[in-house]
Amino acid sequence: MEVGEEWGPVEFTVYKDQLVRYAGASDDYNPIHYDDEVARSFGLPGVIVHGMLNVGLMMSFVSDNLPQGWRLKGCSMRFRQMVEPGRRLEMRARVRNIDNDLAGLEVELHERDQRPSITGRVTIEKRG
Amino acid sequence: MLHLDHVHLGEHSAIKVHEIERGAVSKFARALTLTDPIYFSREAAQSQGYRHIVAPPTFVVTLLPWDIPGLTLPEAGVIHGEQEFEWGEPICVTDAISVSGWVDEVKSRSGRGGQMTIITVASEGEHADGRMAFRARAVLIVTEAVDHGSR
Repeated sequence: MEVGEEWGPVEFTVYKDQLVRYAGASDDYNPIHYDDEVARSFGLPGVIVHGMLNVGLMMSFVSDNLPQGWRLKGCSMRFRQMVEPGRRLEMRARVRNIDNDLAGLEVELHERDQRPSITGRVTIEKRG
Repeated sequence: MLHLDHVHLGEHSAIKVHEIERGAVSKFARALTLTDPIYFSREAAQSQGYRHIVAPPTFVVTLLPWDIPGLTLPEAGVIHGEQEFEWGEPICVTDAISVSGWVDEVKSRSGRGGQMTIITVASEGEHADGRMAFRARAVLIVTEAVDHGSR
């Protein structure tokens, strides 16, 4: 692992059925994630993806790329744009700093050719 | 409707103990389309140094407290603006995690959509032996339209 190293981009799509499964698994029954009519009544184009579903996928992506012996320590994520199901999404990470047993990554998720929907910092640590 | 009148910043909710169940962990992992066997098989998890099947990092969302003294959020339409996590000793199946939450900060701001209230809710979870399991902070945005219950 080196500063400046990039992981990804990984392409993926979140479909509506995954929103329903995630709602059940996370116990988050906010109807803007499964009921188009309610979502539109709140000024949304239709149902939107749970921000935390996307963060879950981003953390999995980071975990899959961690060098041997490293683990997630923390993250700080900002939700910038709503994500609609069915869109082509990309996520990537970049190693920003390494200080002995700690390293910082910049992570980002965006719809293809669009501004970032989620940006954040992930801290990883080497296990002793 | 958003009710904040009785919120005292920093006042912790009562502790709620969550027993971590195998079914809940595996269901969460499947909903994220995760396939790593550490989320499904005790043997696989133990071979990676975990005590039991381990919860994916963001499984913490299922433990977050929403019964914070004085805080009533609208039923729908609350925007999740930011989320922070810090992970400590991994959360594994059969663990009991004691969780409490509190309102850390309340701000009011005028924006394009009218008046917004920005609420930071913090929480922490501890293992039975006192080791930190997680710390979390969520920034929630409630806009005027939502607050007035317009649908």
